[in-house]
Amino acid sequence: MASEFELSRNITIGQYVPTGSFIHRLDPRIKLLVFTILVLAIALNTSYVGNALGLLLSIYLFWVSKIPVSYGLSGIKPAIPFIIILAVLQLIFQGNVFSGGTVFFEYGFILITSESIRLVIVSAVRFVEIILLSSVLTLSTSTTELTHAIQSLLSPLKKIKFPVHEISLIITIAIRFVPTFAIEMEKMMKAQASRGADFGSGEWWRIIQRTKDMLPIIIPLFNIALSRAEDLILAMESRCYTPGNERSAYSVYKALVGDYIVLIIGLLLSLLLLFYPFPY
Amino acid sequence: MKGTLTVRNIVIAGVLGAVAILLGVTRLGYIPVPTAAGNATIMHIPAIIGGIMQGPIVGAIVGIIFGVSSFLNATVPLFKDPLVAILPRLFIGVVAWVVYVGIRRKSEYLAIGTAAFLGTLANTVLVLTMAVVRGYMGAEVAWTVALTSGIPEAIVGTIVTLAVVLSWKQIGKGKKSRISED
Repeated sequence: MASEFELSRNITIGQYVPTGSFIHRLDPRIKLLVFTILVLAIALNTSYVGNALGLLLSIYLFWVSKIPVSYGLSGIKPAIPFIIILAVLQLIFQGNVFSGGTVFFEYGFILITSESIRLVIVSAVRFVEIILLSSVLTLSTSTTELTHAIQSLLSPLKKIKFPVHEISLIITIAIRFVPTFAIEMEKMMKAQASRGADFGSGEWWRIIQRTKDMLPIIIPLFNIALSRAEDLILAMESRCYTPGNERSAYSVYKALVGDYIVLIIGLLLSLLLLFYPFPY
Repeated sequence: MKGTLTVRNIVIAGVLGAVAILLGVTRLGYIPVPTAAGNATIMHIPAIIGGIMQGPIVGAIVGIIFGVSSFLNATVPLFKDPLVAILPRLFIGVVAWVVYVGIRRKSEYLAIGTAAFLGTLANTVLVLTMAVVRGYMGAEVAWTVALTSGIPEAIVGTIVTLAVVLSWKQIGKGKKSRISED
């Protein structure tokens, strides 16, 4: 029962684990670029072998960064029942949409083909891979580094008057506040439960009931978020933050040879995942 | 100052984006409805609230954050297509803002409720249109999804948006910063 309220422990986005490994010391710009390309490549790969490769790669990256894999896996735990339900539904209903391949089972509207089985397995594995990869990135990069990286990767857009600095600040605020709100939400769930509110115990098919149960958490969540926003606005304005001003950075990043090698390896791996015709 | 990125717009867009990500990561933002699209969602609500409170730009930015996080979290191939997952989400906040500004003169309550309802519909209709255009589902399937997940989404969206925006307008009036006018 108590584990239902442990949201913050299961959210790895926005946390930072300093181990000083090779991945931690990479140039954040190159790290962000490589991870983005890898995630996109995995998102578009539909073969069994390709996704197995992706899974191995993401576990290997955890090992290199000296972060326990359990950190990444804890992000997946709350989603497991959900993945299973979704997989079953997909298996039953998507057969007609992805009707290619061998037909294994057909009864009424239920149609299970090798293609729909591939869809179910690959999308579950892919979900795990993407969670793991994005956890390695956020666990090994502090939010400041991430902001600098986003800002310098988007900087070519400055030429067309795109507000690069402001957008990267928005993204940083968003990532920074995810764990904070998770803790707040945990507190709220406990507070509501101690007053006799009931969540999570209803059966999953009672959709209306479960949605109603969520309202006493979601509405205060928004209110807390907005009052935090007011505090942050006040804090920024009292320090004379002016959007659109030219500003310099405290630390300037310089990519080294090792960074470029990582970039090349990452690009090659992504090209392999994207274009190599895997047999299965 | 509705159009430009003031401190207020930047912070509110960031914070609402964080709520959208959190709802996605904890799976609280999904209403499990057994349809071809997987499930109904309430993660578009931050985009609507952003649009109503701070104008179209904030609405669109929160929409993009929601789109990207749904693209990364997606388990169905439908939302693994950036054209389905990200592009239609841009318009949620914009539609909500246009509707809100249009009706606001008549009644504040009506304006917020209608904006939330139509913003949700914009999400449902645009996503499903893109899904049909890109060939992920047939038109009949799209209609059933629109009815089974679109309607609960619109109802929940309207309730939550009304509650949040109204309480935000009432409570803490004196606490807000006066430098950046809203």
